[in-house]
Amino acid sequence: MTCSPTRLAVALRELKSERPTVSAGAATGLRLARVQTLALTRRSVISEWRQLGNVIPGIVFPLLLAAVYTHQFTRVILLPGFPVVDSFLDFVLPASLVQSVSFGATEAGTELARDIENGFFDRLRVSPCTRLPLLLGRLGGAVVVAAAKGVLIIAIFLLFGAEIAGGPAAAVVLVAAAVLLVIAIGGLGQVLAIITGSQEAVNATFPLVFTSIFMSSAFFPTNLMSGWFREVAEANPVTWIIDPVRRLILDGWSWSDAGQALAVPLVISVVTVTMAVVALNRKLGSS
Amino acid sequence: MVASAICGRGMRRIMARPTLIMPVLLMPLIFVLSFTGAFGSLTRVEGYGTDNVFNWMAVYAAMQGAVFAGVGGASTTAEDIENGFFDRLLLTPGSRVPILIGTMAYSALRSTIPTTGVLLVSALGGLRLPGGPLTLVTVYVATAGIASAFCLLGLAVVYRFRTMRSMILIQVCGFSLMFLSTGQVPIHFMNGWLHAVARVNPVTNVLRFARQGFLGDLTWSMTWPGLVALGAMVVTAGALAVHQLRRLTG
Amino acid sequence: MGETTRARFDDDVVIEASGLERTFGEVVAVDGIDLAVTRGEVFGFLGPNGAGKSTTVRMLTTLLRPTGGTARIDGHDVEKSAAAVRRIIGVALQDASIDPLMTGNELIRLQAVLHGISRSESRSRGAELLARVGLAGAAGRRVATYSGGMRRRLDLALSLVHEPSILFLDEPSAGLDPTSRLALWEEVRRLNSELGTTVFLTTQYLEEADELAGRIAIIDRGRLVREGSPEDLKSMVGSPTLRVDVDPVFLESARRVLVGFGPERPAREGRLAIGLDEGATRVAEVVRALDDAGVTVSHLELDAPSLDDVFADATGRRLEGAEK
Repeated sequence: MTCSPTRLAVALRELKSERPTVSAGAATGLRLARVQTLALTRRSVISEWRQLGNVIPGIVFPLLLAAVYTHQFTRVILLPGFPVVDSFLDFVLPASLVQSVSFGATEAGTELARDIENGFFDRLRVSPCTRLPLLLGRLGGAVVVAAAKGVLIIAIFLLFGAEIAGGPAAAVVLVAAAVLLVIAIGGLGQVLAIITGSQEAVNATFPLVFTSIFMSSAFFPTNLMSGWFREVAEANPVTWIIDPVRRLILDGWSWSDAGQALAVPLVISVVTVTMAVVALNRKLGSS
Repeated sequence: MVASAICGRGMRRIMARPTLIMPVLLMPLIFVLSFTGAFGSLTRVEGYGTDNVFNWMAVYAAMQGAVFAGVGGASTTAEDIENGFFDRLLLTPGSRVPILIGTMAYSALRSTIPTTGVLLVSALGGLRLPGGPLTLVTVYVATAGIASAFCLLGLAVVYRFRTMRSMILIQVCGFSLMFLSTGQVPIHFMNGWLHAVARVNPVTNVLRFARQGFLGDLTWSMTWPGLVALGAMVVTAGALAVHQLRRLTG
Repeated sequence: MGETTRARFDDDVVIEASGLERTFGEVVAVDGIDLAVTRGEVFGFLGPNGAGKSTTVRMLTTLLRPTGGTARIDGHDVEKSAAAVRRIIGVALQDASIDPLMTGNELIRLQAVLHGISRSESRSRGAELLARVGLAGAAGRRVATYSGGMRRRLDLALSLVHEPSILFLDEPSAGLDPTSRLALWEEVRRLNSELGTTVFLTTQYLEEADELAGRIAIIDRGRLVREGSPEDLKSMVGSPTLRVDVDPVFLESARRVLVGFGPERPAREGRLAIGLDEGATRVAEVVRALDDAGVTVSHLELDAPSLDDVFADATGRRLEGAEK
């Protein structure tokens, strides 16, 4: 069953009128959930598009960082122990991508918090909308934007001479891993939004996400770190995602690397989204 | 005096709501920790300038904190404009410039908090002062100057656009300005366009001035360009702010 | 429309505006206003929301530059000698201009410093002012904990710290409960009678203008439509209003009868109103005439003219929401 525009319109009308329309009797359960998710995703994407100014920093900033580091670290890549690269650009590609998507990752959470703050959430609640679409729909917006950003950044890097040894498959894995990471962070943001109902609280997680990218192998190989910092970086899940992805980029395709790069963020996403659903159910009192 | 009253008010607000100062204090601390941790190996590279990464990074983290503190000072004004209190300040008889000066002084004073935090944490990490205690003076002067300049820049933007959201723009600009300089690596590590940008960036001189005591002795030739750069930044930003303040009622 | 009774024009004009105008892009908020307020007056600026009252006040208090015309406060031009103006005026704006993170005492002290008052003097004056507005107990608490009424009172106290001779109050009792409103009126009357403070007050409440102001200017859509003392304005509109409720079936025949007794006035749906000279004495006649025409009357009332009638007469609309 494809999702035609009429079905979307039906779903949206349902949300507005709070009474199921006649044809909804036919679309029950899973189909309804899918339709609702798509409708809410659409709303989320449109809302992001309208705030395009917010997306720009998420692209410009990581690129600037990458450009500056590449120029500053020309001698650094020659350090013994550093992975063999032509330029720091190849090294930093996964970091830039992860950083770029992190800029929008908390959006899902802040949007939800904003809806809760201004009461729109209550309106969504009394619609025949089940819990999961409410959360996934918003994540959907973040996912679409993250994927777009990922493709754009890879394109720019390639333009400046970076090389991906693992080929297009590696690029796909990179974007997919980044998207899954967004879902993971977004889910966490949504949990916070549901618990605190405050945009400020959710926004405060951004600096934490930002720094945790630095406290990983994103910008420097962990084998060249020392002391407690190295331990922190090696325990950081971001490292577990970036290391295999980087190997795909520098060394070439490997199924185990691809698997790890996708499995880690997938597991985290499942956990955080489940947490969000649980939190939502607890807040609303029923399923 | 009006300026000191405004400055005092700012400090009292921090005591009224201590969470106001937390981000300003925490960001540079996290900064210094993650940068020294991630890039600790830079010291192994020939010609880095020091073998102690804290000696290099501490000043950079402190100055990023100063940008943050400066922008935060302007944010207070943004809040005042949004809740109407600014009108009352505008009704001061006489010149309104003391209000600006008071806000700037508040930012400079505010910046001592993150600077002190960074220095303390870095001391725990092994910070040394080859240039003697005067080194600390250069750091505080530099951060106060940076905070003032960015506060004034923030005020210029706030007077013009009157919303809190414009503050993020200044914050990002400040971060980038710091970044396109010798924050993390010496200038001779750079090449191409970055080298050119860093050379003309006034922050480079300020960093050199503030950092000299951590790398060796304090000399006049490394001091005066930094002071000139600080002065130029404060004066330019101040002129912009005064101009926008005058336009405010039009 | 546009009738004015000018104030006695002498050297004691402390608030003076000539052709005062303010546009925001395409929108003309204030469209050429002339004002003359004499020393010691309580002058009321009455008009509906969006009429241009706040904009006018902001121009007169140097917070906004006029795009046309001039204004002078006690001889000082608001644009050229703004600092001198700010020294002699006290201002309490529509949204209480306070900082929620500070305490009442701290705000008073700050206000004093801004106006160059010494610390010791500010302390004594502050205590007195806070006591007078009933905030002595709460002065040590942060303003965020104050109720809306308390914030207004603090705002008023702040506007009086430097003992201004001219006080501007922009919608001072908006959002206040009736008791607070009465207390505010008392305070304004006292300031005016005991200290001789000139008060320029804007409001959308007829009662407030009626009670407090010696002279009123009615502003609508950026223009002055009437000016004069409340009594003069009301007597200009003249006769009392007779309001009659009839069943819609009888509306037209009732109207035909009523307009024979006096001019029709605006009224809400299902009701007719006319101006009736000699009011009460003719009511019996009207009722008989309606009865003869076979009209059934469900309700009848006779009202002396109000400022609402003045406004309606000047603009064709009612000031306070629904028609009477």
